Amino acid sequence: MRNPIIVAIFAICSVMALILLAIIVADPIANSGGMPHPTIAGLMVGGDGAARLEEIGGLAFAFQCLLLLLIVALCALGVSPRHRTPQLYALLLLTYLFTLLIWWQMYFGHLDYLETRTTGYFLGFPLATAWQMYGTWFGAIPLILIYTLGFKKFIHSDEDEASYQQLLKDNGME
Amino acid sequence: MEAYRQEIIIGAVLVYMVFCVLTGLWAMRRTKSSSDFFIAGRGLGPIVVSLALFSSTLSGFGFVGGPGLVYSTGVSSFWMIVISSTGYALGFFLVAKRIRMIASLRNCISLPDVAAARYGSEPVRFLLALTIVLGVMGYLATQILAMAVVMQAILSGTETFANIGLISCVVISGTVLIFYCVTGGIIASVYTDVVQGGIMMVAGVLILIAATSVFDGGMQEATSIILADDAEAIMPFGTAGIMASLGWFFVFGLGLAGQPHLVTKMMMNKNIADNRTILPMSLLGYVLAALLWVSIGIVMRAAVLAGVSEPLALPDDAASVFLSAFTNPLLAGIVFAGLFAAIMSTSDAFLNIGTAAIIHDIPKALRGKSLENELLWARIVTVLLAVVAAGFALYSHFQDATLVALLGAFGWATFASGIFPVIAIGLNWKGASATGAIVAIVSSLLINFIAQLSAIQIPYGISGGLVAFVTSMVLFIGVSLATRTRSLDDDIDALMDI
Repeated sequence: MRNPIIVAIFAICSVMALILLAIIVADPIANSGGMPHPTIAGLMVGGDGAARLEEIGGLAFAFQCLLLLLIVALCALGVSPRHRTPQLYALLLLTYLFTLLIWWQMYFGHLDYLETRTTGYFLGFPLATAWQMYGTWFGAIPLILIYTLGFKKFIHSDEDEASYQQLLKDNGME
Repeated sequence: MEAYRQEIIIGAVLVYMVFCVLTGLWAMRRTKSSSDFFIAGRGLGPIVVSLALFSSTLSGFGFVGGPGLVYSTGVSSFWMIVISSTGYALGFFLVAKRIRMIASLRNCISLPDVAAARYGSEPVRFLLALTIVLGVMGYLATQILAMAVVMQAILSGTETFANIGLISCVVISGTVLIFYCVTGGIIASVYTDVVQGGIMMVAGVLILIAATSVFDGGMQEATSIILADDAEAIMPFGTAGIMASLGWFFVFGLGLAGQPHLVTKMMMNKNIADNRTILPMSLLGYVLAALLWVSIGIVMRAAVLAGVSEPLALPDDAASVFLSAFTNPLLAGIVFAGLFAAIMSTSDAFLNIGTAAIIHDIPKALRGKSLENELLWARIVTVLLAVVAAGFALYSHFQDATLVALLGAFGWATFASGIFPVIAIGLNWKGASATGAIVAIVSSLLINFIAQLSAIQIPYGISGGLVAFVTSMVLFIGVSLATRTRSLDDDIDALMDI
């Protein structure tokens, strides 16, 4: 029987490849990757943010949602099959929802700014950027907690260590 | 103190270099075999591994190119660093435990060794070693060049060395690097990494404090100035746009677990259980050091826009101009020492894995056994590799920058797209086949080389690296699912069940 996690990873990557292809063949927007600053050499500017997202905003949003899903699927793959319990899947699902919330706030916060041209600030950065800066950094905290606090439960239990030591012994590698 | 700025900076860098030489001498006495030379005998403690891991991640690019990128393109390049927490987590979930177990089970001393054990395939070992050598040459040349350029900038500010040439600076800095790498191998490398990591963390925090005091309104005033000039520059996707940013998230996040100089360090800890503390410690170190990348770039862009500072001749001047304009000499000295630390900690890791690929993996793949007297050859090849890379760097500087720029840019993305599927997924999925691994490595080499050589501009700022990475993931899994998998060796099969 095929490993369902690897099938899921394959499906996610394939859809991401298709989205990438759709973006590549979408109507090009001039200077979508930035343009030189009108007066200061060496600086780039982004220009009209709304125009840059017009053709591909939805596709890019979906691409990132899949990428976040890919990350938790890869973490599940990294856990030994015998430790892939419903509890682990529940924790990974919560992690995914947490990172999705951060991405949602960042993306729609940016759209909101493009519409209203006003923004609040959090710890020095406009709100949408603060979600990117602090949110993305802290978005992986649940994964780190699962790994460190759940190390003996999900990653490497005492039984795992015993099996490993036995394997080394059997191979004359003690 | 201001009158002695240059002397203080030189003093700090000199003290750091003397430390590196002394560490090399100390480590030489502990290096008795090729296993000691390449993986420190798999006996390192968690603090040493943590600091070595993060300091190797943040190269000279992080201290020079990173602030320059923020200055030039705004928030876009933040994506390369904010993803580090996810990248480290993925690396530990997917690689840390299994690579450490295989390393002990099969007495592996390099990443291609691990791949050969996992797939039972010498072609996979050869292709992985070749990828490493190609990437290492470009990386090393750019690091050595960066080290020499910074040294020239520091020394030419003094009367005695006002006219010092770049070649002399390559020789001085290269000699220190070669000395401690040859004498002490990876043991010297990781113990210098400990101090290098410490300096980088202190530098990151102090620079953040200095940066927030440039404007009366702190960081918010700086970001407001940028927002008023061009909102996109300070919004989440920066001037490079959404797909360039998400591409960096993908390649730098997932790709971290495919960097050979990092995952090789996951083979060096004494106990598997240490991984639970190594992960948070290395991530904390990285975050603190990366504060420099974020804060200098933002403040310099705002300072130029507000007319506080003149426009920079080159974006990469952001860090050095910030240090001379906005910091006291003592901090500048610490940060310059930190800059050398960042460059050297990455260079020594590359020298080590490049040497292992040349003297251990390629001969083993081609003739079934590695060289006799590996330790002696390791020392000889370390010198040769550094000399060739230095020559390569000088040639690129004076004659033609294309090749080094090509290989330098080629490094991270190729390692990410070529190595991540083969190692990170392959160590956790018994169905992964050698054919899938070969197709993934070859496709990533081809796509990255073609993208660099042809300078293709993909719409919406999508990078060749992102295309290569997604393609190699799909091909690796797809080909593995479609091809018959050779049955695993019993010990590897049992290990993958643990």
